[in-house]
Amino acid sequence: MSKVVVITSGKGGVGKTTTAASIAIGLAKQGHKTAVIDFDVGLRNLDLIMGVERRVVYDFVNVINGEATLKQALIRDKRADGLFILPASQTRDKESLTKEGVESVIEELKSEGFEFIVCDSPAGIEKGAYMAMYFADEAIVVTNPEVSSVRDSDRVLGLLQSKTRKAEQGDVVKEHLLIARYSPVRVDEGDMLSLEDILDILAIPMIGAIPESGSVLQASNRGIPVILDDKSQAGQAYSDVVARFLGETVPHRFLEVEKKGFLQRLFA
Amino acid sequence: MLNTLRLSISDIPKISGILQTKINHTAQFFLNSPLVLDCQDLGDKCANLDFSALYKVVKSVGFVPVGVRNVPDDCLKYIKQSEWAIMRAATKPSRKKNTGKVDEPKANRVEVISRPLRSGQQIYAPEGDVVILHQTSSGSEILADGSVHVYGTLRGRVLAGVNGEKSARIFCQSLQADLVAIAGCYQLLDDADTELKGQAAMIRLEAGKLIFEPLA
Ligand SMILES: Nc1ncnc2c1ncn2[C@@H]1O[C@H](COP(=O)(O)OP(=O)(O)OP(=O)(O)O)[C@@H](O)[C@H]1O
Ligand SMILES: [Mg+2]
Repeated sequence: MSKVVVITSGKGGVGKTTTAASIAIGLAKQGHKTAVIDFDVGLRNLDLIMGVERRVVYDFVNVINGEATLKQALIRDKRADGLFILPASQTRDKESLTKEGVESVIEELKSEGFEFIVCDSPAGIEKGAYMAMYFADEAIVVTNPEVSSVRDSDRVLGLLQSKTRKAEQGDVVKEHLLIARYSPVRVDEGDMLSLEDILDILAIPMIGAIPESGSVLQASNRGIPVILDDKSQAGQAYSDVVARFLGETVPHRFLEVEKKGFLQRLFA
Repeated sequence: MLNTLRLSISDIPKISGILQTKINHTAQFFLNSPLVLDCQDLGDKCANLDFSALYKVVKSVGFVPVGVRNVPDDCLKYIKQSEWAIMRAATKPSRKKNTGKVDEPKANRVEVISRPLRSGQQIYAPEGDVVILHQTSSGSEILADGSVHVYGTLRGRVLAGVNGEKSARIFCQSLQADLVAIAGCYQLLDDADTELKGQAAMIRLEAGKLIFEPLA
Protein backbone atom coordinates (compact mmCIF):
# COMPACT_ATOMS: atom_id res chain seq x y z
CA MET A 1 0.00 0.00 0.00
CA SER A 2 1.30 3.40 -0.93
CA LYS A 3 0.57 6.52 1.02
CA VAL A 4 0.54 10.01 -0.46
CA VAL A 5 1.56 12.60 2.14
CA VAL A 6 1.34 16.32 1.46
CA ILE A 7 3.46 18.82 3.38
CA THR A 8 1.44 22.01 3.30
CA SER A 9 0.89 25.24 5.25
CA GLY A 10 -0.80 28.10 3.46
CA LYS A 11 1.73 30.65 4.64
CA GLY A 12 5.13 30.79 2.94
CA GLY A 13 8.53 30.24 4.48
CA VAL A 14 7.35 28.26 7.49
CA GLY A 15 9.52 25.18 6.89
CA LYS A 16 7.60 22.95 4.46
CA THR A 17 10.54 22.10 2.23
CA THR A 18 12.83 21.61 5.23
CA THR A 19 10.22 19.21 6.62
CA ALA A 20 9.61 17.37 3.35
CA ALA A 21 13.34 16.77 2.87
CA SER A 22 13.94 15.51 6.40
CA ILE A 23 10.85 13.33 6.56
CA ALA A 24 11.58 11.77 3.18
CA ILE A 25 15.13 10.90 4.24
CA GLY A 26 13.89 9.64 7.60
CA LEU A 27 11.30 7.33 6.04
CA ALA A 28 13.81 5.94 3.55
CA LYS A 29 16.37 5.37 6.32
CA GLN A 30 13.74 3.29 8.11
CA GLY A 31 13.63 1.05 5.05
CA HIS A 32 10.61 2.48 3.24
CA LYS A 33 10.87 3.16 -0.47
CA THR A 34 10.05 6.85 -0.72
CA ALA A 35 9.65 9.49 -3.41
CA VAL A 36 9.58 13.20 -2.66
CA ILE A 37 8.03 15.51 -5.26
CA ASP A 38 8.63 19.27 -5.46
CA PHE A 39 5.34 20.96 -6.42
CA ASP A 40 6.82 24.45 -6.18
CA VAL A 41 7.02 24.88 -9.93
CA GLY A 42 8.89 28.02 -10.85
CA LEU A 43 10.84 28.28 -7.62
CA ARG A 44 12.69 24.95 -7.28
CA ASN A 45 13.97 24.59 -3.81
CA LEU A 46 13.77 20.99 -2.68
CA ASP A 47 16.69 19.93 -4.87
CA LEU A 48 18.91 22.55 -3.19
CA ILE A 49 17.97 21.50 0.34
CA MET A 50 18.52 17.87 -0.69
CA GLY A 51 21.85 18.81 -2.26
CA VAL A 52 21.05 17.33 -5.67
CA GLU A 53 20.66 20.52 -7.71
CA ARG A 54 23.56 19.65 -10.02
CA ARG A 55 22.04 16.32 -10.88
CA VAL A 56 18.73 17.71 -12.15
CA VAL A 57 18.28 16.88 -15.83
CA TYR A 58 14.54 16.45 -16.23
CA ASP A 59 11.79 17.62 -13.94
CA PHE A 60 8.18 16.99 -12.87
CA VAL A 61 6.72 19.08 -15.70
CA ASN A 62 8.87 17.29 -18.29
CA VAL A 63 7.33 14.02 -17.11
CA ILE A 64 3.79 15.42 -17.17
CA ASN A 65 4.33 16.75 -20.70
CA GLY A 66 5.77 13.44 -21.86
CA GLU A 67 9.18 14.98 -22.60
CA ALA A 68 10.89 12.51 -20.26
CA THR A 69 10.01 9.28 -18.53
CA LEU A 70 9.55 9.17 -14.78
CA LYS A 71 12.66 6.97 -14.50
CA GLN A 72 14.74 9.58 -16.32
CA ALA A 73 13.56 12.38 -14.05
CA LEU A 74 13.82 10.67 -10.66
CA ILE A 75 17.07 11.41 -8.86
CA ARG A 76 18.37 8.66 -6.59
CA ASP A 77 19.55 9.92 -3.22
CA LYS A 78 23.07 8.78 -2.36
CA ARG A 79 22.60 8.91 1.42
CA ALA A 80 19.41 6.92 1.87
CA ASP A 81 18.64 3.75 -0.05
CA GLY A 82 15.23 3.75 -1.67
CA LEU A 83 14.84 7.54 -1.71
CA PHE A 84 14.11 9.32 -4.98
CA ILE A 85 13.59 13.00 -5.66
CA LEU A 86 11.38 14.40 -8.41
CA PRO A 87 12.48 18.01 -8.82
CA ALA A 88 10.34 20.95 -9.93
CA SER A 89 11.04 22.98 -12.98
CA GLN A 90 12.55 26.41 -12.50
CA THR A 91 11.25 27.88 -15.67
CA ARG A 92 7.65 26.86 -16.15
CA ASP A 93 4.66 28.31 -14.44
CA LYS A 94 2.25 26.48 -12.16
CA GLU A 95 -0.38 26.11 -14.87
CA SER A 96 1.64 23.25 -16.32
CA LEU A 97 0.58 21.04 -13.40
CA THR A 98 -2.62 19.37 -14.59
CA LYS A 99 -4.73 17.10 -12.45
CA GLU A 100 -4.44 14.27 -15.00
CA GLY A 101 -0.68 14.77 -15.25
CA VAL A 102 -0.16 14.72 -11.50
CA GLU A 103 -2.39 11.69 -11.13
CA SER A 104 -0.50 9.72 -13.76
CA VAL A 105 2.84 10.43 -12.06
CA ILE A 106 1.47 9.43 -8.65
CA GLU A 107 -0.10 6.27 -10.05
CA GLU A 108 3.16 5.30 -11.74
CA LEU A 109 5.08 5.81 -8.49
CA LYS A 110 2.55 3.61 -6.71
CA SER A 111 2.90 0.87 -9.28
CA GLU A 112 6.69 1.10 -8.93
CA GLY A 113 6.26 0.07 -5.29
CA PHE A 114 6.88 3.39 -3.59
CA GLU A 115 5.49 3.15 -0.05
CA PHE A 116 5.48 6.87 0.63
CA ILE A 117 5.01 9.67 -1.86
CA VAL A 118 5.83 12.94 -0.11
CA CYS A 119 4.51 16.07 -1.83
CA ASP A 120 6.23 19.36 -0.97
CA SER A 121 3.55 22.01 -1.51
CA PRO A 122 4.19 25.59 -2.54
CA ALA A 123 2.86 28.36 -0.29
CA GLY A 124 -0.57 29.85 -0.82
CA ILE A 125 -3.85 28.23 -1.72
CA GLU A 126 -3.59 28.54 -5.48
CA LYS A 127 -3.21 25.92 -8.18
CA GLY A 128 0.16 24.51 -7.10
CA ALA A 129 -0.92 23.99 -3.49
CA TYR A 130 -4.22 22.54 -4.66
CA MET A 131 -2.46 20.04 -6.94
CA ALA A 132 -0.06 19.03 -4.16
CA MET A 133 -2.90 18.23 -1.76
CA TYR A 134 -5.48 16.82 -4.17
CA PHE A 135 -4.33 13.19 -4.13
CA ALA A 136 -3.19 13.13 -0.49
CA ASP A 137 -4.09 10.38 1.97
CA GLU A 138 -2.44 12.23 4.85
CA ALA A 139 -1.33 15.79 5.42
CA ILE A 140 1.37 17.27 7.57
CA VAL A 141 0.35 20.86 8.16
CA VAL A 142 3.38 22.99 9.03
CA THR A 143 2.75 25.99 11.25
CA ASN A 144 4.95 28.58 12.95
CA PRO A 145 3.93 29.85 16.38
CA GLU A 146 2.42 33.08 15.13
CA VAL A 147 -1.14 34.17 14.43
CA SER A 148 -0.96 34.63 10.65
CA SER A 149 0.61 31.22 10.14
CA VAL A 150 -1.94 29.48 12.35
CA ARG A 151 -4.79 31.25 10.57
CA ASP A 152 -3.49 30.10 7.18
CA SER A 153 -3.10 26.54 8.42
CA ASP A 154 -6.70 26.62 9.59
CA ARG A 155 -7.73 27.67 6.10
CA VAL A 156 -5.67 24.86 4.56
CA LEU A 157 -7.28 22.32 6.91
CA GLY A 158 -10.66 23.41 5.56
CA LEU A 159 -9.46 22.90 1.99
CA LEU A 160 -7.98 19.48 2.82
CA GLN A 161 -11.40 18.30 3.94
CA SER A 162 -13.30 19.78 1.02
CA LYS A 163 -11.11 20.12 -2.06
CA THR A 164 -9.23 16.82 -2.14
CA ARG A 165 -10.08 13.58 -3.86
CA LYS A 166 -10.57 11.91 -0.48
CA ALA A 167 -13.06 14.61 0.51
CA GLU A 168 -14.92 14.29 -2.78
CA GLN A 169 -15.26 10.57 -2.10
CA GLY A 170 -16.71 11.31 1.34
CA ASP A 171 -13.52 10.22 3.07
CA VAL A 172 -11.14 12.28 5.22
CA VAL A 173 -7.49 13.19 4.80
CA LYS A 174 -5.63 12.27 7.98
CA GLU A 175 -4.29 15.44 9.60
CA HIS A 176 -1.04 15.97 11.49
CA LEU A 177 0.19 19.24 12.92
CA LEU A 178 3.89 20.02 12.82
CA ILE A 179 4.99 23.17 14.58
CA ALA A 180 8.25 24.44 13.13
CA ARG A 181 10.61 27.11 14.45
CA TYR A 182 9.33 26.69 17.99
CA SER A 183 11.22 28.71 20.54
CA PRO A 184 10.31 27.99 24.18
CA VAL A 185 12.19 31.10 25.30
CA ARG A 186 10.17 33.39 23.05
CA VAL A 187 6.93 31.67 24.06
CA ASP A 188 7.84 32.32 27.70
CA GLU A 189 8.50 35.95 26.88
CA GLY A 190 5.09 36.17 25.25
CA ASP A 191 6.38 36.89 21.72
CA MET A 192 5.00 33.69 20.27
CA LEU A 193 1.91 31.56 20.54
CA SER A 194 2.33 28.61 22.86
CA LEU A 195 1.67 25.00 21.87
CA GLU A 196 -1.56 25.12 23.88
CA ASP A 197 -2.76 28.22 21.99
CA ILE A 198 -2.02 26.63 18.62
CA LEU A 199 -3.62 23.30 19.50
CA ASP A 200 -6.64 25.11 20.88
CA ILE A 201 -7.18 26.96 17.61
CA LEU A 202 -6.42 24.14 15.17
CA ALA A 203 -7.61 21.17 17.24
CA ILE A 204 -5.72 18.45 15.35
CA PRO A 205 -3.14 15.99 16.72
CA MET A 206 0.43 17.26 16.88
CA ILE A 207 3.08 15.05 15.33
CA GLY A 208 5.92 17.16 16.65
CA ALA A 209 7.44 20.53 17.33
CA ILE A 210 10.77 21.42 15.72
CA PRO A 211 12.80 23.92 17.73
CA GLU A 212 14.14 27.06 16.10
CA SER A 213 17.75 26.20 15.38
CA GLY A 214 20.63 27.67 13.42
CA SER A 215 21.55 24.17 12.34
CA VAL A 216 18.60 24.19 9.89
CA LEU A 217 19.99 26.99 7.76
CA GLN A 218 23.48 25.49 7.93
CA ALA A 219 22.09 22.15 6.81
CA SER A 220 20.18 23.76 3.92
CA ASN A 221 23.24 25.64 2.76
CA ARG A 222 25.22 22.41 2.71
CA GLY A 223 22.47 20.47 0.98
CA ILE A 224 22.26 17.99 3.85
CA PRO A 225 18.75 17.72 5.33
CA VAL A 226 18.90 18.56 9.03
CA ILE A 227 17.58 15.14 10.10
CA LEU A 228 21.03 13.78 9.19
CA ASP A 229 22.62 16.10 11.76
CA ASP A 230 22.01 14.05 14.89
CA LYS A 231 23.73 16.61 17.11
CA SER A 232 21.13 19.20 16.24
CA GLN A 233 17.95 19.40 18.29
CA ALA A 234 15.98 20.16 15.14
CA GLY A 235 17.43 17.01 13.54
CA GLN A 236 16.52 14.91 16.57
CA ALA A 237 13.02 16.39 16.63
CA TYR A 238 12.56 15.41 12.96
CA SER A 239 13.71 11.85 13.76
CA ASP A 240 11.02 11.72 16.45
CA VAL A 241 8.44 12.97 13.94
CA VAL A 242 9.33 10.18 11.52
CA ALA A 243 9.06 7.58 14.29
CA ARG A 244 5.63 8.93 15.31
CA PHE A 245 4.52 8.99 11.70
CA LEU A 246 5.39 5.31 11.51
CA GLY A 247 3.25 4.61 14.55
CA GLU A 248 5.73 4.67 17.43
CA THR A 249 4.97 6.48 20.66
CA VAL A 250 7.79 8.90 21.33
CA PRO A 251 7.65 11.59 24.02
CA HIS A 252 7.92 15.19 22.83
CA ARG A 253 11.23 16.93 23.48
CA PHE A 254 12.62 20.46 23.38
CA LEU A 255 9.34 22.08 24.42
CA GLU A 256 10.54 23.61 27.68
CA VAL A 257 13.00 26.38 28.28
CA GLU A 258 16.31 24.64 28.95
CA LYS A 259 17.27 24.79 32.62
CA LYS A 260 20.78 26.04 32.97
CA GLY A 261 23.13 23.51 34.57
CA PHE A 262 25.04 24.24 37.77
CA LEU A 263 28.23 25.29 35.97
CA GLN A 264 26.37 27.34 33.38
CA ARG A 265 24.62 29.14 36.19
CA LEU A 266 27.95 29.84 37.90
CA PHE A 267 29.39 31.36 34.75
CA ALA A 268 26.24 33.07 33.54
CA MET B 1 -29.46 45.02 11.08
CA LEU B 2 -29.37 42.85 8.01
CA ASN B 3 -29.35 45.00 4.88
CA THR B 4 -30.75 43.80 1.62
CA LEU B 5 -29.57 45.23 -1.66
CA ARG B 6 -31.99 44.63 -4.51
CA LEU B 7 -29.83 44.33 -7.56
CA SER B 8 -31.20 45.54 -10.87
CA ILE B 9 -27.90 46.13 -12.62
CA SER B 10 -24.83 43.94 -13.00
CA ASP B 11 -22.35 46.75 -13.44
CA ILE B 12 -19.93 46.38 -10.51
CA PRO B 13 -18.49 49.92 -10.48
CA LYS B 14 -22.05 51.30 -10.38
CA ILE B 15 -23.05 48.96 -7.55
CA SER B 16 -19.92 49.96 -5.70
CA GLY B 17 -20.89 53.61 -6.15
CA ILE B 18 -24.35 52.99 -4.73
CA LEU B 19 -22.96 51.21 -1.68
CA GLN B 20 -20.33 53.87 -1.14
CA THR B 21 -22.98 56.59 -1.22
CA LYS B 22 -25.05 54.66 1.28
CA ILE B 23 -22.12 54.39 3.65
CA ASN B 24 -21.15 58.04 3.20
CA HIS B 25 -24.65 59.44 3.59
CA THR B 26 -25.43 57.57 6.76
CA ALA B 27 -22.33 58.69 8.58
CA GLN B 28 -20.95 55.17 8.59
CA PHE B 29 -24.08 53.84 10.25
CA PHE B 30 -23.94 50.78 8.01
CA LEU B 31 -20.25 50.16 8.44
CA ASN B 32 -19.57 46.48 9.12
CA SER B 33 -23.21 45.55 8.87
CA PRO B 34 -24.19 42.35 7.06
CA LEU B 35 -25.42 42.65 3.49
CA VAL B 36 -27.62 40.28 1.50
CA LEU B 37 -28.07 40.60 -2.25
CA ASP B 38 -31.51 40.09 -3.70
CA CYS B 39 -31.40 39.08 -7.36
CA GLN B 40 -35.15 39.03 -8.01
CA ASP B 41 -35.01 41.94 -10.46
CA LEU B 42 -31.79 40.78 -12.06
CA GLY B 43 -33.08 37.33 -13.03
CA ASP B 44 -31.09 35.62 -15.76
CA LYS B 45 -28.76 38.58 -15.93
CA CYS B 46 -27.07 37.05 -12.86
CA ALA B 47 -24.99 35.15 -15.38
CA ASN B 48 -23.29 38.43 -16.35
CA LEU B 49 -22.35 39.31 -12.81
CA ASP B 50 -18.94 38.44 -11.39
CA PHE B 51 -20.01 37.48 -7.87
CA SER B 52 -16.47 37.02 -6.58
CA ALA B 53 -15.53 40.51 -7.69
CA LEU B 54 -18.72 41.87 -6.16
CA TYR B 55 -17.88 40.12 -2.89
CA LYS B 56 -14.55 41.96 -2.76
CA VAL B 57 -16.21 45.26 -3.60
CA VAL B 58 -18.89 44.85 -0.91
CA LYS B 59 -16.20 44.04 1.62
CA SER B 60 -13.93 46.90 0.62
CA VAL B 61 -16.78 49.41 0.87
CA GLY B 62 -17.27 48.29 4.46
CA PHE B 63 -20.22 45.91 4.50
CA VAL B 64 -20.04 42.32 5.68
CA PRO B 65 -21.03 40.24 2.62
CA VAL B 66 -23.37 37.44 3.62
CA GLY B 67 -25.55 35.78 1.04
CA VAL B 68 -27.52 35.98 -2.17
CA ARG B 69 -31.21 35.27 -2.50
CA ASN B 70 -33.69 34.86 -5.36
CA VAL B 71 -31.17 33.52 -7.81
CA PRO B 72 -32.54 31.62 -10.83
CA ASP B 73 -31.57 27.92 -10.64
CA ASP B 74 -29.46 28.18 -13.81
CA CYS B 75 -27.28 30.78 -12.14
CA LEU B 76 -26.72 29.02 -8.79
CA LYS B 77 -23.43 27.64 -10.09
CA TYR B 78 -21.98 31.16 -10.32
CA ILE B 79 -22.76 31.75 -6.66
CA LYS B 80 -21.32 28.40 -5.64
CA GLN B 81 -18.02 29.36 -7.28
CA SER B 82 -17.92 32.57 -5.27
CA GLU B 83 -17.65 33.33 -1.56
CA TRP B 84 -21.35 34.11 -1.20
CA ALA B 85 -23.82 31.82 0.52
CA ILE B 86 -27.00 30.91 -1.29
CA MET B 87 -30.06 31.91 0.67
CA ARG B 88 -33.52 30.77 -0.18
CA ALA B 89 -36.31 33.30 -0.19
CA ALA B 90 -38.25 33.48 3.01
CA THR B 91 -40.93 30.86 3.07
CA LYS B 92 -43.03 31.88 6.00
CA PRO B 93 -44.64 28.87 7.65
CA SER B 94 -48.25 28.90 6.55
CA ARG B 95 -50.54 28.79 9.54
CA LYS B 96 -53.53 27.20 7.94
CA LYS B 97 -56.35 26.93 10.42
CA ASN B 98 -59.60 25.02 10.22
CA THR B 99 -59.06 23.88 6.69
CA GLY B 100 -60.57 20.57 7.65
CA LYS B 101 -57.39 18.76 6.69
CA VAL B 102 -55.08 17.46 9.36
CA ASP B 103 -51.58 18.83 8.78
CA GLU B 104 -48.88 16.27 8.47
CA PRO B 105 -46.41 16.43 11.34
CA LYS B 106 -43.73 18.88 10.38
CA ALA B 107 -40.24 19.42 11.69
CA ASN B 108 -37.55 21.73 10.55
CA ARG B 109 -34.48 20.41 8.88
CA VAL B 110 -31.44 20.11 11.12
CA GLU B 111 -28.04 20.37 9.53
CA VAL B 112 -25.44 18.53 11.60
CA ILE B 113 -21.79 19.30 10.90
CA SER B 114 -19.37 16.82 12.42
CA ARG B 115 -16.12 18.50 11.42
CA PRO B 116 -14.59 21.75 12.62
CA LEU B 117 -15.67 24.74 10.55
CA ARG B 118 -12.41 26.30 9.35
CA SER B 119 -11.43 29.79 8.33
CA GLY B 120 -12.89 30.56 4.89
CA GLN B 121 -15.64 27.96 5.20
CA GLN B 122 -19.27 28.89 5.29
CA ILE B 123 -22.42 26.92 5.88
CA TYR B 124 -26.00 27.93 5.43
CA ALA B 125 -28.91 25.94 6.80
CA PRO B 126 -32.06 27.05 5.02
CA GLU B 127 -35.35 26.62 6.84
CA GLY B 128 -33.80 25.02 9.87
CA ASP B 129 -31.20 24.78 12.57
CA VAL B 130 -27.55 24.01 12.38
CA VAL B 131 -25.68 21.92 14.92
CA ILE B 132 -21.90 21.89 14.89
CA LEU B 133 -20.29 19.15 16.94
CA HIS B 134 -16.89 20.86 16.91
CA GLN B 135 -15.34 24.24 17.16
CA THR B 136 -15.57 26.91 14.50
CA SER B 137 -12.67 29.13 13.45
CA SER B 138 -12.14 32.80 13.16
CA GLY B 139 -12.89 33.63 9.53
CA SER B 140 -15.68 31.05 9.25
CA GLU B 141 -19.35 31.84 8.86
CA ILE B 142 -22.51 30.07 9.98
CA LEU B 143 -25.91 31.11 8.67
CA ALA B 144 -29.20 29.51 9.58
CA ASP B 145 -32.83 30.38 9.11
CA GLY B 146 -33.31 28.80 12.53
CA SER B 147 -31.02 28.45 15.54
CA VAL B 148 -27.33 27.65 15.77
CA HIS B 149 -25.79 25.24 18.27
CA VAL B 150 -22.03 24.88 18.57
CA TYR B 151 -20.67 22.14 20.82
CA GLY B 152 -17.22 23.66 20.94
CA THR B 153 -15.60 27.05 20.78
CA LEU B 154 -17.52 29.48 18.61
CA ARG B 155 -15.23 31.79 16.68
CA GLY B 156 -15.91 33.70 13.48
CA ARG B 157 -19.32 35.00 12.46
CA VAL B 158 -22.66 33.47 13.24
CA LEU B 159 -26.02 34.63 11.94
CA ALA B 160 -29.19 32.93 13.14
CA GLY B 161 -32.71 33.65 11.91
CA VAL B 162 -31.34 35.11 8.70
CA ASN B 163 -34.79 35.16 7.14
CA GLY B 164 -36.15 37.24 9.96
CA GLU B 165 -37.09 34.57 12.50
CA LYS B 166 -36.87 36.45 15.79
CA SER B 167 -37.20 33.36 18.00
CA ALA B 168 -33.94 31.91 16.67
CA ARG B 169 -31.15 31.55 19.21
CA ILE B 170 -27.44 30.91 19.30
CA PHE B 171 -25.91 28.44 21.75
CA CYS B 172 -22.26 27.69 22.21
CA GLN B 173 -19.80 26.04 24.57
CA SER B 174 -17.32 28.89 24.53
CA LEU B 175 -18.24 32.28 23.14
CA GLN B 176 -15.40 33.81 21.14
CA ALA B 177 -17.31 34.95 18.06
CA ASP B 178 -16.38 38.02 16.04
CA LEU B 179 -19.95 38.81 15.06
CA VAL B 180 -23.31 37.44 16.19
CA ALA B 181 -26.66 38.24 14.62
CA ILE B 182 -30.25 37.15 15.11
CA ALA B 183 -32.93 38.15 12.61
CA GLY B 184 -30.67 40.87 11.29
CA CYS B 185 -29.90 42.40 14.67
CA TYR B 186 -26.18 42.07 14.99
CA GLN B 187 -23.32 42.83 17.32
CA LEU B 188 -19.58 42.82 16.81
CA LEU B 189 -17.77 41.18 19.69
CA ASP B 190 -14.22 42.17 18.90
CA ASP B 191 -13.52 43.77 22.26
CA ALA B 192 -14.83 43.09 25.73
CA ASP B 193 -18.48 43.47 24.77
CA THR B 194 -19.66 40.78 27.09
CA GLU B 195 -18.27 39.28 30.24
CA LEU B 196 -19.41 35.92 28.87
CA LYS B 197 -16.56 35.84 26.40
CA GLY B 198 -14.93 32.42 26.57
CA GLN B 199 -17.87 30.91 28.44
CA ALA B 200 -20.83 28.72 27.58
CA ALA B 201 -23.51 31.12 26.43
CA MET B 202 -26.90 31.55 24.85
CA ILE B 203 -27.86 34.54 22.77
CA ARG B 204 -31.45 35.51 22.08
CA LEU B 205 -33.35 38.48 20.75
CA GLU B 206 -35.67 40.46 22.96
CA ALA B 207 -37.31 43.75 22.00
CA GLY B 208 -34.80 44.32 19.25
CA LYS B 209 -31.81 43.75 21.52
CA LEU B 210 -29.42 40.82 21.72
CA ILE B 211 -29.40 39.27 25.18
CA PHE B 212 -26.37 37.24 26.27
CA GLU B 213 -26.92 34.68 29.01
CA PRO B 214 -24.67 32.09 30.60
CA LEU B 215 -25.50 28.44 29.91
CA ALA B 216 -25.31 26.76 33.25
N1 LIG C 1 13.37 24.78 12.73
C1 LIG C 1 13.94 25.83 12.08
N2 LIG C 1 14.83 26.62 12.70
C2 LIG C 1 15.39 27.66 12.06
N3 LIG C 1 15.15 27.99 10.78
C3 LIG C 1 14.27 27.24 10.10
C4 LIG C 1 13.60 26.12 10.70
N4 LIG C 1 12.78 25.57 9.77
C5 LIG C 1 12.92 26.30 8.64
N5 LIG C 1 13.81 27.31 8.83
C6 LIG C 1 14.24 28.32 7.85
O1 LIG C 1 13.10 28.98 7.33
C7 LIG C 1 13.28 29.30 5.96
C8 LIG C 1 12.15 28.71 5.15
O2 LIG C 1 12.19 27.29 5.20
P1 LIG C 1 11.59 26.39 4.04
O3 LIG C 1 12.17 26.74 2.72
O4 LIG C 1 11.66 24.98 4.47
O5 LIG C 1 10.09 26.91 4.10
P2 LIG C 1 8.92 26.65 3.05
O6 LIG C 1 7.68 26.59 3.87
O7 LIG C 1 9.22 25.48 2.19
O8 LIG C 1 8.96 27.97 2.20
P3 LIG C 1 8.16 28.26 0.83
O9 LIG C 1 6.77 28.60 1.27
O10 LIG C 1 8.87 29.43 0.25
O11 LIG C 1 8.23 27.03 0.01
C9 LIG C 1 14.63 28.74 5.57
O12 LIG C 1 15.57 29.78 5.60
C10 LIG C 1 14.91 27.71 6.64
O13 LIG C 1 16.29 27.56 6.84
MG1 LIG D 1 9.22 25.32 0.04
